[in-house]
Amino acid sequence: MSPSTPSTPGIGTALAALHEPFVPADQHTFVSDLTVGELVLLEEIGFRPVDIVSGAGSASWNPQFTTAGTEGTMWGRAIAAAIDNARSGILEELRTRHADGVVAMRLELERERANLLTCTMLGTAVHGTGRRPDAAHPFATTLSARDFHLLVRAGYHPVGIAIGVSVVGFAARSASQSLGLARDNVELTDQTTALYSSREKAMEMMEREAAELHADGVVEVQLQERPVNSLLTHAVEFVAVGTAVCRGSEGHKDLAPEFQLTLDDPPGVTFSDR
Amino acid sequence: MVGQTPDATGTGPATAGPGDLVFHPDTRQRSTWTSDLSVAEAAAVRRVGLVPAGFVMGTAVMQLAAAGGQLYGQWGGMMGGSLGRGNGYSESYPCAHTYGYSTGVGLGGAASEHYGFSVEDSVLAASLTDGYRLAIERLHDEATQLGAHGVVGVDLFFENLVGSQGTATFFARGTAVTHPATAPLPSPFMTNASGQHFERLIALGYVPTGLAVGVGAVYVQPNCQARGDFTVGGAIRQIPAAITVARSRARSSLAAMAHRSGEGVVHTDWTDRKVNRYGESWDQLAIALGTAVRRYSTEAEPLTPRPVLPLRP
Repeated sequence: MSPSTPSTPGIGTALAALHEPFVPADQHTFVSDLTVGELVLLEEIGFRPVDIVSGAGSASWNPQFTTAGTEGTMWGRAIAAAIDNARSGILEELRTRHADGVVAMRLELERERANLLTCTMLGTAVHGTGRRPDAAHPFATTLSARDFHLLVRAGYHPVGIAIGVSVVGFAARSASQSLGLARDNVELTDQTTALYSSREKAMEMMEREAAELHADGVVEVQLQERPVNSLLTHAVEFVAVGTAVCRGSEGHKDLAPEFQLTLDDPPGVTFSDR
Repeated sequence: MVGQTPDATGTGPATAGPGDLVFHPDTRQRSTWTSDLSVAEAAAVRRVGLVPAGFVMGTAVMQLAAAGGQLYGQWGGMMGGSLGRGNGYSESYPCAHTYGYSTGVGLGGAASEHYGFSVEDSVLAASLTDGYRLAIERLHDEATQLGAHGVVGVDLFFENLVGSQGTATFFARGTAVTHPATAPLPSPFMTNASGQHFERLIALGYVPTGLAVGVGAVYVQPNCQARGDFTVGGAIRQIPAAITVARSRARSSLAAMAHRSGEGVVHTDWTDRKVNRYGESWDQLAIALGTAVRRYSTEAEPLTPRPVLPLRP
């Protein structure tokens, strides 16, 4: 271990410490992908990094399965399974490390081909100093270190990632319909409806997941919608991923932000280019 | 002024360094210091009490020996066992349509396209780690020659700059800094954190010790399902398993390297990369580059940030 003598922080003491050789003991070496600024934000609210944790999941589906007006359950389920497998993978890694949760996580949805999706999660597992009594259920969150810091200071804590996925097919137009409609200004109600209903179903699923986590709400929801229009496939895909949060026993704490008025001009006022 | 020449620190110009083989660090007389710090970074370094000593660099051009692991793996995987090098990860993924491999060869031969395997490519991981290590060592040598106490803002990366396909040029570049009032360290510290992050790190009670590198690589020959064959949809195991193994190797070698010099790693720059190989196969790479840190003080002042809301649109 490094010298345990307490000393005031400063470059002099820091360099003095480096003059003494480091003797590797059986200390736990923490690993984190946090920037120093993020590390400061976490330590300030009583969280220490433990390790980098990751989860990954992939799934494929049959894009022809969707028929007009019906939800492509296989397709939607495949996407949900990929995200869910990544989530359970990262939660499992958190449990084996006895960590409270993962923060500053990057979540990537990579579409490798038309019908293959890989979801990966990677972030820093943290251990709180007596903040969360519920250590058996570690949390995952899509929040950045900054947002996590703000959330905790405001009296909330994340309880998990809530996802909502839905795929809705719509009827293909025949060639004559397409040609006929080309001269008119009309709404394509089938497609508008499909978009609405996929949104509804995805949000329903997300709410259901959040309710299972006994959350008060969901924040930082990222939405991805994608129309899939090809010869054989007409569908709308809707994917929503967010963080379910709970209010602590002490309720909401006002952060009382200080309003700031910067004295520089807004861009484009002083100089036309910037 | 503040420029530090090697003589000013009392070490004198080194006559023989660890990199004595070919690469003599830049030993010309310096009349001023150079740096790749931004103005704000330079100001942060000054606030801490350090002064720039000079821009330092380490580089190495490497031939990446990737093919070895793949070829061994290819046959090892087919046999269902590992002929592997060492005892790395290897796993076979039979056809999801349950076509037998031997049947496939006899009747139509379709099954070979359906069969997949993943095998750890420790040869590729080792050559990437070596490239980074050489670049870092040479950077360290230059900083030592300058009598510096450390290097901040190290940029660590590789690219195909020189040489043919299969080669990679590794770079480590940063600014050497000195503390005028302190005797030179036995070994200068190095960090990939910027000047401002370095300032925060010192304020938090941590001091950087050196750079830590972790690389993991898994060669993936996808089976029918991992290739996206939609007749066998559903959850796929091969792709996430390869990602997980590559990441876990990178993480454990990062931690092992840091364990020798500090209590943890911060500022890890994490990259997942898929490098296409022959046919539909690829190398799943995970590269982690961070800074090993030591806690030198437990009496850091709280840095509790004040929430502000700018009123500018």
